[in-house]
Amino acid sequence: MAKIELDGVTKRYGKNTALDNVSLTVEDNEFLVLFGPAGAGKTTLLKTIAGVEFPQKGLVKIGGEIVNHVEPMHRNVSMVFENYALYPHMSVYDNIASPMRSKLYKKDEAYIRETVERVTKMMKIDHLWERKPSQLSNGQRQRVAIGRCLVREPNVFLMDEPLAHLDAKLRHFMRSELKEMQSSFNTTTIYVTHDYMEAMSLADRIAVLNHGKIEQLGTSQEMYYTPCNEFVATLFGEPEINLFPAEVVAENGRLYLSALGQEGLPLEEDVCQALVHREDRSYDVGIRGNDVRFSFEHRPGWMAGTVYANEPIGNKVIMTVDVEGTHIRLVAPNDTRAGLDQPVYLSLNMKNAILFDSVDKSYVIRSDAQRFTQTAAAAGR
Amino acid sequence: MAQLVLSNVYKRYDDGPKGLFRKRKVHDYAVNNLSFTCEDGEFIGILGPSGCGKSTTLRMIAGLEEITEGDMYIGDIRINELPPKDRNIGLAFEDYALYPPLSVYENLAFNMRAKKIPEDKIQEAVSYVAPLLKVDDLLDMKPPALSGGQKQRVNIARAIVRRPGLLLLDEPLSHLDGKMRQTLRQEIKRMHHEIKCTTIIVTHDQMEAMSLADRIVIMKDGVLQQMGTPLEVYDDPANEFVAGFIGEPPMNLLPATIVGAGDGFEFAFEGSPLRVAVPEKYNPVVENNMQVTLGVRPVDVLIQPGTEGSGAVPVAVYENLGDERRISVRIGDTLLNTTTAEDVSYHHGQIVRLSFHAERTHLFDPKTGNRIRSNVEWR
Repeated sequence: MAKIELDGVTKRYGKNTALDNVSLTVEDNEFLVLFGPAGAGKTTLLKTIAGVEFPQKGLVKIGGEIVNHVEPMHRNVSMVFENYALYPHMSVYDNIASPMRSKLYKKDEAYIRETVERVTKMMKIDHLWERKPSQLSNGQRQRVAIGRCLVREPNVFLMDEPLAHLDAKLRHFMRSELKEMQSSFNTTTIYVTHDYMEAMSLADRIAVLNHGKIEQLGTSQEMYYTPCNEFVATLFGEPEINLFPAEVVAENGRLYLSALGQEGLPLEEDVCQALVHREDRSYDVGIRGNDVRFSFEHRPGWMAGTVYANEPIGNKVIMTVDVEGTHIRLVAPNDTRAGLDQPVYLSLNMKNAILFDSVDKSYVIRSDAQRFTQTAAAAGR
Repeated sequence: MAQLVLSNVYKRYDDGPKGLFRKRKVHDYAVNNLSFTCEDGEFIGILGPSGCGKSTTLRMIAGLEEITEGDMYIGDIRINELPPKDRNIGLAFEDYALYPPLSVYENLAFNMRAKKIPEDKIQEAVSYVAPLLKVDDLLDMKPPALSGGQKQRVNIARAIVRRPGLLLLDEPLSHLDGKMRQTLRQEIKRMHHEIKCTTIIVTHDQMEAMSLADRIVIMKDGVLQQMGTPLEVYDDPANEFVAGFIGEPPMNLLPATIVGAGDGFEFAFEGSPLRVAVPEKYNPVVENNMQVTLGVRPVDVLIQPGTEGSGAVPVAVYENLGDERRISVRIGDTLLNTTTAEDVSYHHGQIVRLSFHAERTHLFDPKTGNRIRSNVEWR
């Protein structure tokens, strides 16, 4: 158990900067997810904390102590690998006991038995002691691998894409399994992933990395509802958030948006209040697929478009609609049938629209934004 | 334009010891008694896990593999012995196999030039096909300068430039990353809509098959499991394999025992006190103590706050994924997943009442995996 602090950490590989002046504090017992596209620097950051990589600049602190020059084995960090790396010839009991039998962490057998008992009970694998890894299901193997890390009571628990090699279906179940165990970790955990659902599900807080920098640090609610820029907005949610340019127009003392050939899109009261004081008249609007309604019949005030693609994916249909050359993605019920290029009419739920700066693409405002940050504060950290 | 018919097609790679007395085993065949018809202009997806025989099937249609037994027809012509070049087929594989020193235009024109087709005809064909796959801006570029997605566009454009009767695509999207895959998926669909060429795509990705195909052929171990529209295979799976393979998040499949008599049956689950009423429609086909596998999709599990009744269980996992909320409860050794788009919030250990959308539950025989249908609906 320990607080982890990174202070101005920079890591370069030759001319490439993998981490660019990263500062980050992970609270004691927190579950922090490092999330971002490939090459963002997620794994490098993890390795820097593990001590496998040494930063050229900046400090790494574990539990208040500077560990830049502490060897990995003495940092008391524990790492779960993607393939679990269980010893195939050992039973579950021996696998879990193995760290306590190593030279560095040597414990007596009575203590080992007690600890294995405690951990396996917690992981709900106490009935599997005699089994070999090959006789376990994937979920059970994951539990053994995590249990093995927990027996040492490490300062920090590092997990590098533990679910990445699984197919989509299994990954879904394993994520739930992991989430169920999570409360029993009682250890500061840093978890790397490029799957937004894993990040949102597991994290106390998420750090979004891009090009070696932290774009945004916050709860999953904040990432989804108040992303700090368009890049972060596009990373969360499926289908991807719709983004299009809009102009603010004042009429009868109220503000409206004009976008996609449609005038008079209403803005919420609190958004109007804030925008009145800004000089900027053009913004990018972000609106998620769940907030777009459609109809195949003409309705007054709805914007007209044509069906560009209609993709059933089981429990829902993702429809892409061409409106004035812009593609708008929306979620439709799973029995929706539509011919390509068929006319369709859309209505946007402007209450949930997010406004971004049209130049630097950063977050400007959304209605009732405090709701999402407040719930985060109430949730604990 | 052509209809494609496969009639009792078998494929065995190793002929094995010859002789009259050799017994045939199911797994000797890479493709085992496969029959289906692909109508003129239809878009068919062949879907299955790796090793299910889907690529072998495609290669037999293309003429790259011999057919061990059975017949294959394009239109009225039996094509078993027809050489590939006479089948009027366009092919695009996962690998792009473009000629690197030639420009995109020359790549598209290559086959037609080899056939000595006049240059103005070639130009006409290329300029028709190029915009369909959005490669009209790339015609002067050479393959090494193209991205993976662009290469695959060119590859598919080359397959259709001679307007084949049948277009065969073998995992064309599996090399591409998420976003590119999604865009190209839409464009392949639009291209098909435009030229209405009979098309077969082989894929292991159920979402790809669902979103592209008019009908899906689902295979496992060389055997056809089910053929139907995306909605049919999703709503009315023929067996446990199809049920588990189609849909994301996947269908919950729970081992259960039927208890009760007369008109009132309940599902009981090993290691869980949970009892759920068996939908009435199954009354004629279930009996006390019968073992079944209960299949129910995450969207068809209903969770409500409340502690009373036999459906009360503690929440094991609550996940807020923004677009939707997922709630899981533990039933014996299995996590039962549910999904809802409503903005609900639960916490770990909270007691909730669980029920199933009765009309949308499926029963399977745990031994064979076959669907147990209620007599009312079927036959």
